[in-house]
Amino acid sequence: MTKNIARIAVLVVVVAAVLYPLIWMIGSSLKSPEEISNNLSVIPREFTWSNYDKGWTSLDIVFGRFFLNSAIIALATVLANCVSCLLAAYAFARLQFRGRALFFTIMIGTLLLPHHVLLIPQYLLFNNFGWINTPLPLVVPKMLATEAFFVFLMVQFMRGIPRELDEAAKIDGADPYRIFRHVIFPLARPALVTTAIFSFIWTWNDFLPQLIYLNDLSHYTVPVALRLFVDSSGQSSIGPMFAMSVLSLLPVFLFFLAFQRLLVEGINTAGLKG
Amino acid sequence: MQPSLAELGPRTDAGPLAPQRAARRRGSSRRGEATAGYVFLSPWLLGLLGITALPMIFSLVLSFTDYELLDDWSQVQFVGLANYKRMFTEDPHYWHSVAVTLRYALIAVPLKLAAALGVALLLRRDRKGNGLFRGLFYLPSLLGGSVALALVWLAMFSRDGAFNAFLGIFGIEGKPWVNDPDWSLSTLIVLAVWQFGAPMVIFLAGLKQIPVELYEAASVDGASRLRQFWHITLPMLSPVLFFNLVMEVIHGFQGFTGAYVISGGEGGPVDSTLMYTLYLYVAGFTDFKMAYASAMAWVFLLVIGVITAGLFATGRYWVHYSDGGDK
Amino acid sequence: MKPTAPLAVGAHSPLHNGSASRRTLLRGIAAAALAAPAAAVLAACGDDKPSNDPNAPVELSIFWWGGDARAKMTEDALALYTAKHPNVTFKKTWQANAGYYDKLATLTAGGNAPDIFQIDDGALSEYAERNQTLDLSKYADSNKLDKSKILPGLWQAGVVEGKAAGVPMGENTPGMIYDKGLLKTLGLPEPTTGMTWDALIAWAAQVTSKSGGKVFGTMDPSADYKALWVWLRQQGKQLYDGKKVGASAEDLTKWFDLWKGARDTKAAPPADVIHGANAGAVANQLVVTGKAATSFMWANQLPELQKATKSELGVVAYPGDPSGQWARAALYFSIYKGSKHADVAVDVLNFLVNDVEAGKVLGTDRGLNANTDVRTAVASTLKDAAATAAQFETDLASKFGQPPTVPPKGHVKVRSLLITYAENVQYGKATSAAAADAFLKEANAALAG
Repeated sequence: MTKNIARIAVLVVVVAAVLYPLIWMIGSSLKSPEEISNNLSVIPREFTWSNYDKGWTSLDIVFGRFFLNSAIIALATVLANCVSCLLAAYAFARLQFRGRALFFTIMIGTLLLPHHVLLIPQYLLFNNFGWINTPLPLVVPKMLATEAFFVFLMVQFMRGIPRELDEAAKIDGADPYRIFRHVIFPLARPALVTTAIFSFIWTWNDFLPQLIYLNDLSHYTVPVALRLFVDSSGQSSIGPMFAMSVLSLLPVFLFFLAFQRLLVEGINTAGLKG
Repeated sequence: MQPSLAELGPRTDAGPLAPQRAARRRGSSRRGEATAGYVFLSPWLLGLLGITALPMIFSLVLSFTDYELLDDWSQVQFVGLANYKRMFTEDPHYWHSVAVTLRYALIAVPLKLAAALGVALLLRRDRKGNGLFRGLFYLPSLLGGSVALALVWLAMFSRDGAFNAFLGIFGIEGKPWVNDPDWSLSTLIVLAVWQFGAPMVIFLAGLKQIPVELYEAASVDGASRLRQFWHITLPMLSPVLFFNLVMEVIHGFQGFTGAYVISGGEGGPVDSTLMYTLYLYVAGFTDFKMAYASAMAWVFLLVIGVITAGLFATGRYWVHYSDGGDK
Repeated sequence: MKPTAPLAVGAHSPLHNGSASRRTLLRGIAAAALAAPAAAVLAACGDDKPSNDPNAPVELSIFWWGGDARAKMTEDALALYTAKHPNVTFKKTWQANAGYYDKLATLTAGGNAPDIFQIDDGALSEYAERNQTLDLSKYADSNKLDKSKILPGLWQAGVVEGKAAGVPMGENTPGMIYDKGLLKTLGLPEPTTGMTWDALIAWAAQVTSKSGGKVFGTMDPSADYKALWVWLRQQGKQLYDGKKVGASAEDLTKWFDLWKGARDTKAAPPADVIHGANAGAVANQLVVTGKAATSFMWANQLPELQKATKSELGVVAYPGDPSGQWARAALYFSIYKGSKHADVAVDVLNFLVNDVEAGKVLGTDRGLNANTDVRTAVASTLKDAAATAAQFETDLASKFGQPPTVPPKGHVKVRSLLITYAENVQYGKATSAAAADAFLKEANAALAG
């Protein structure tokens, strides 16, 4: 019992330290414009909800539209990453074919190049395909497993799945496709859930590619729209920016809470061992 | 090149079947497996050939030219290794950014991994309230590189920030952390550790993969908690630990977002947060020296490539794969 | 559209060929990459050839940065143009300043720049010297672009290497913004236009001591290129002398020392406080955060700063002789050299800068209107801080010195180098002389290209 209390106490203290900056952000979203720059405390001197109202409605387009745009791109990315990276990971983790080691090395290699130098050549390429000003440059690459992070992640998880399971299926005459469907796919759930969570959140926060490839205000995503409130040459609306930043955390937080449940449902491999 | 499956896989006893038939089946299944490999890999291969490879090669070619952003493409000249030479011999900021990056990565990566593993172990059980705690610990990572982050960090770690108020309780006089060149990089390290959510989730998912019966058996044998951790958790978690290590090393050395957001894209004060990738970005987009930036990017790729290869090589000795480890 | 040429690149290694073929290789990649979209566009809409029919439908793309207020004004002004010319419509893209130049550069490198884009004097030379902007001289000569009412100095500020690269959309001038409310409370006099730099620092030391060290008298602008430039001009020099820095090492050392003195007497705050404001973001300025009584900004930023603080603010010229100040073109609109509808784009700019109705819609958001008639018409519509700022600038206009030539290529780099080296001195990491030498060496290298 005392052990439990100690554990909870440690958690609460750590959580408080971790969350303080976020609580400060929420506090700041309730401050008036005159207060926001010169009052650094968490608690506003005078509460105001006006930042939320302003942030939501002050742009030509209701801020909800940006949420919708972000959600569509993020969900498409989740789906694309989960499918394409799972297929590639299965090949790398479980199948023998010529060139596998080389391809794997190349895949890891694509993780290493700082992406800023790829902006211009990628733009030239997508321009060639006629994809500019559409969401295609943001989604199609994900359908083709270009997110090596997730391929590598799934490879590592699959290699934690005992091979006896495949071998047993093989002896029963299963081909690689059936093994994928009946052995690997059910057991890859933690990796898939992790991929889904990160795909959603990272896409939700991604700024530069979305800025480069989307031109119309009505197509803007949350990170691009959030910056409309902050302009170095004036016209700053820091309060609404905080307010909308707080709001933009909600969908991702809910997404995380919903999905992390899938992570904690225990997986019992014993049932499969037959 | 690689040991075949037949040697690595567990010896299955094929019973009284004629060995010839078994061999024949293995041969045809090997071919079928190779075909399946290409089938499963085809989206990735298409992505590589159609989307990933060309821009990478293009940037490599550019690194041997004098291309500046906005130059007319027909005016671009090849200049051999001039960009590389300038980088190593004439550019003081270059080596400075290397030093900043090393300092950051060597401290931030182990701390972040330790925090992520520690919290994941605390929250692995399916207890009431753990889901909420996981969510709360993950919250900071949700902020990513949000615009709000810069102002939040100032409010935490400037002269009148919350952190100094906290120190004041104990009568310690603080520093203007974010705005102090001797400490600004430390605030970036704190930021990296604060956002330990991603490796934490991966650890949690990895812990979920460990079969419960292993622990049950160990408990029956009377193994202590510590022994269980050392002999079951660590080896079973090692593939995931290895993944997190490799990715955090790569991210740690790239470390662009935090430095960019907190320093307003400048790497200040007095270049104290001028991370390698931030300098690369400034060189390419602010100074227009895109060819130079490409050269910097490829040097980065080579160096991190060597480090990653080293990790893979040492990984053979401590990463335990349940699939017999044929790589 | 099959990108055949680029795909062939991987086939032969780019590193083992003769230089001639290597050059053609790169040109091949780029040409294929750039030609394809043009062809695709041609295929997509058949009316792409500049036709002689003035009523043929034309869609112009236009791109600017700013907040939502600027967007509304700009969209309304463009709608006025469409009302007069129903065949001309606009594809409008606007965003925050963050990432604006990254995007503009990417579009331009891809041969896809918008017909009309907003630009400031940090980037104008970069684009003009690399031949990405249309030379507007011949349109000005034929009066298709009427510059008769645009202040000559402003028009000149858009001329790079003899080519008219941009139409100035507004004028601003440096302004020292100060905390009126605080000075009333402390019972101290307000700063005045024409006070010397030393007088400012002496006055600032009083503010600091009167406020009990809670508020410092003045921001330390040693990292601010505007302040350095004004100070140099007052001594008959310029920040730029062609493609070199116009100041000597002695000048710069003196400049850094002047502010070191101010910090030593507590007239100016310590380095970490200054650093917060050095990047120029409005929200971090010391008159807003309440850490100092002055901020060195552009005069037209007064309304923006006023919005962020309850205390009343005022504005005067930077210290020293006001002839050090000049009418600067705050922002320009430029036309992309590859624009297929250059004539129409020019007509649009002519309308935006010279039409009184358009001017009234645009207001002083991009600075005081460049056309003097429009400026007069707009002046009566201004209120509060915007009126104060406009009045200040109008009053000062008679004292302005000759405007300098537009900053050369490399200006943005020089600006950030000045911040780095001034901060080195502020933090005590370098002596004034050492910082001056290092700054000069690097800035000159950046300017030389």
